[in-house]
Amino acid sequence: MRESHLKILQYIAGIGLFFLVGTHLIVTLLIGDPTSWESVSARAASAGWLAFYTLFLIFGLYHGIHGLRTIILELPIPKPPARVIDGTLVAIGIAIFGYAVYIPISAFGAL
Amino acid sequence: MQELTFKVQRYLPGKDKKPYIQEFIVPLRKGMTVLDGLIHIKENIDNTLSYRSSCRMGICGSCGAFINRFPRLACHTPVEELGTGIIEVKSLPNFPIIRDLVADLDPLFEKHKSMKPYILGSEMEKAERPSSQLLQSREALESYAQFSYCVKCGLCMSACPTVATDPLFIGPQALGQAYRYCVDTRDTGAKGRFREADSRHGIWLCHLAGACSEACPKGVDPALAIQLLRRAMIFDVLRLSKAKKPAPVAHPPAESKPKIAVPEFTVK
Repeated sequence: MRESHLKILQYIAGIGLFFLVGTHLIVTLLIGDPTSWESVSARAASAGWLAFYTLFLIFGLYHGIHGLRTIILELPIPKPPARVIDGTLVAIGIAIFGYAVYIPISAFGAL
Repeated sequence: MQELTFKVQRYLPGKDKKPYIQEFIVPLRKGMTVLDGLIHIKENIDNTLSYRSSCRMGICGSCGAFINRFPRLACHTPVEELGTGIIEVKSLPNFPIIRDLVADLDPLFEKHKSMKPYILGSEMEKAERPSSQLLQSREALESYAQFSYCVKCGLCMSACPTVATDPLFIGPQALGQAYRYCVDTRDTGAKGRFREADSRHGIWLCHLAGACSEACPKGVDPALAIQLLRRAMIFDVLRLSKAKKPAPVAHPPAESKPKIAVPEFTVK
């Protein structure tokens, strides 16, 4: 993937996060009692909310890890080749995604 | 008579382990520039001082130096503008030093060359042996004219904080010139330049510090060129770019017969 492709995805993820985080803040801070058991289990049982949080996770992970990649690659210190850094960050991202998406999926299945 | 203190960087490879500062007292003259001060030092005090200069009028870009902690053209910097009687002159940062104030600008020229800074035509034969003229409207010219004012002085590269941390970064000068040629209606080489600028040490390392535009003595505004180039590259990836209208070919001049018959030459 060329750098421009990665950067365009970063911009898309950033714009997407603006709406996703905004929605998340509205739901958790402004509407009803979002932390009550009823409210949490209702969201956990909803396919729409599952899709929402999965998308939130994907956009947030990509935006954050790509940002971290940019910082690491620009640091003026001795570092491993860029391919090693890229591979490591992709592996970390997949691991975090796998762990984080397991929770809402298993909650959706249980409820 | 008022005097100025010039603190000039000196460095002779092979003799000095590292650059050091030497002070000179220079008489102040009305309208004097930093370059005038350096010339005075060389002609009257120490003729071993090395620096580059040529036109003395801000058009050749030779006399770039780090003057009072900012990259400037020495000929284009009146000492009064600095507002102090102490003038510190060093060689341009982000470039290796050859001697004293003379920086090695090869990295600048290599990066510039990598962007193919010339008109790339669809037919090389016609480009090398043009048989007609390409027309350009005022609007087409104005879309790149500002970026063509670059004199390759290197001040933008010296000011750029990304060049300071990553010597492989292509840099504002080369990227600015890449945009200049990409947008020229006579050019067809944009895609190749996009690929070159899209490297890991390419255009995406720019963080819009704007120091390049602040340092540029010719008003090129390379930061603007970089942002416009980024937009063009993104539109190209997303296939949203409009096809550039190529420069039309001028009609050949109409043949005309001479009104008065020219007599034959008597000397063959």
